[in-house]
Amino acid sequence: MSTPDTSTPAVVATRLRKRYGGTTAVDDVSLRIEQGEVVGVLGVNGAGKTTTVELVAGLRRPDSGSVRVLGLDPHRERGRVRQVLGVQLQHASLHAALTVAELVGLYRTFYPQPRPTAELLELVGLTEQRTVRFERLSGGQQQRLSIALALAGRPRVVVLDELTTGLDPRARRRMWAAVESLRDEAVTVLLVSHTMEEVERLCDRVLLLDAGRVVASDTPAGLVASSGADTLDDAFVALTGKSLEVVE
Amino acid sequence: MSTTHPHTTTVSGTPPAWRPGLRSWLVLTVCEAKMVVRDTAGLVVPLVLPLLILVMSAAPAADQPVTGGYTALDVYVLPLVLTVVLGTIGVINMPSFLAYYRRTGILRRLSATPASPAMVLVAQVAVSAVQALIGLAGALAVAFGVFGAHRPAHLGTAVAVYLLAMGAMYAVGMVVAALAPTPNAAVAIGLVAFFALGALGGMFGGVSSLPAPLATVGEWLPFGATVAALGSAWVGAPVDPAHLLALAATVVLGSGIAATFFRWS
Repeated sequence: MSTPDTSTPAVVATRLRKRYGGTTAVDDVSLRIEQGEVVGVLGVNGAGKTTTVELVAGLRRPDSGSVRVLGLDPHRERGRVRQVLGVQLQHASLHAALTVAELVGLYRTFYPQPRPTAELLELVGLTEQRTVRFERLSGGQQQRLSIALALAGRPRVVVLDELTTGLDPRARRRMWAAVESLRDEAVTVLLVSHTMEEVERLCDRVLLLDAGRVVASDTPAGLVASSGADTLDDAFVALTGKSLEVVE
Repeated sequence: MSTTHPHTTTVSGTPPAWRPGLRSWLVLTVCEAKMVVRDTAGLVVPLVLPLLILVMSAAPAADQPVTGGYTALDVYVLPLVLTVVLGTIGVINMPSFLAYYRRTGILRRLSATPASPAMVLVAQVAVSAVQALIGLAGALAVAFGVFGAHRPAHLGTAVAVYLLAMGAMYAVGMVVAALAPTPNAAVAIGLVAFFALGALGGMFGGVSSLPAPLATVGEWLPFGATVAALGSAWVGAPVDPAHLLALAATVVLGSGIAATFFRWS
C-alpha cells in the first residue's frame, strides 16, 4: 500500500453559493484546508456555518461552486468520499430503540476498517451506557454517540457540526481530548464552534463567517493581532460587529 | 493506519469505492427487526387485527357451504384476513416507519456513510415479510385448528398470489411514504388508504353490498384483487387474469411513483 499523498489538500471549496428560497445562506465561500489541520468555523446563528460544512460534506448541493475532499468530488465520487469522511450532523437522530452498542456495531459495518467499539465508546465516554437505548440517553450523551459514529470508519477528514454545544464542562473536556487525539493521528478536522475558548485550544485556524461570507481566516492569535483587539472575543466583535456571547 | 488493506490506492491515497457487504445488510436487517419488535404497539395491528376479524366471522362462515366442499370461511373470510395482514403491514406500518426515519434525520445520517439509505428500505421490506409470515401463520393456525378451514386446492397458486399481493401492498405503502409530508400524515394517509382499499375490497361485509361501479373498482384495487384471486386459488378455480394484472400494475405503478417522489431527507 502506498502511503497517502499528504500534498493533496484535505478540503478545497471554491466559490460556494447556496440559497434557500429568498435567503442566501452561503455567499461565495472559498476555503482550503490542508491535511492534518484542525479548523474551526465561528459565527453567530444564521451566519451559514452549518450550510457551509454540509456543502463541504456533500450533504447539500451548492447552487454554484465546487467542493473537493482529498481531491474527490463528494457527489460524483460519493462512495470514495464517504469512506474517508466522517460526519456529525446537527439535527440527525438515530434509531431510537437501538442501544449505544447496537448503533456503534451497525455503523462500524459500513466501513472496511472500523475502529473497535470499545475504543469508540471510551473516546466519547459512553462505555457505561453501552446497553442504554438511544431514546433514553441525555441530549449530551446522544451528541457524544453521534461523534463516536462519525469516527467509526477511521476517517481522514472529520466534519463536526456540534462538538460541545450543550455539553457539561467534563464532557466538553472529553470531546476536546478526542479532537486532540485525532490531531495526533493527523486527521483533518473541520468543526463548528460557538466558543472562543474551544477554538483557541483546538484549532490551528479559524474561519470567521458572517452573513454567509468568510470575513476572516487566520490562526486564533493572528485574528487577534490583525483586528487590533486584545482577545479573540473582541476580535470577533471587531470583524463582524456582532457578539458571539448572545449565542446559546 | 493499517497496512493490511487489500485494495490498491490512488495517487491521492484515497481507497477505491467500497460498498458495505453482506454482513452490513444482515446487521441492519437485525437492527430494523429490533426496532419493530421494540415498538410493541406497532406489532399489535398486523398480528391481532386480522385474528380479531377471523374470530368474529369464522364460526358462521364455516357453516356456509359455497362450492365443492369449501365454505365461506375458505373462499371469503380467510383470504380477506390474510389480505388484512399484508395491508396493515405494507400500507400502515412500513410507511410510518420510513416517514419517521426521514423526519428524524436517520436516513440523512445514513446517507453520510458509505451505506445507502436504500439499504434501510430493503431491510424494512425483509422485516415486514417476516412479520407477514408470522401474521399468516397465526391466522392459518387459528383458521385450521379452531374453525376447521380447508387447505387451498392450488397451494402453489395461492402462494404465488400472496407474494404478488405482498409486492402490491408494499408498493402502495411506498407511495404513501413518498407522498406523506410528515410521519403523522403518513400514519393518517396509510390508515385511510388501508380502510378505503379494504372497504372497496369487501372488508366490511361482502362486495355484493356495494354499488356495482364501486364493487368493480374495488375488485381492481390491490385489496379486492387479492381477496378474489386468493379465493379462486383456494377452491381450485382459475384465477381471473384481470386480478393478477391489477396487482402487477400496482407493483409497477407504485414503485415508479415512489421512486420518483421519495426523498431521503
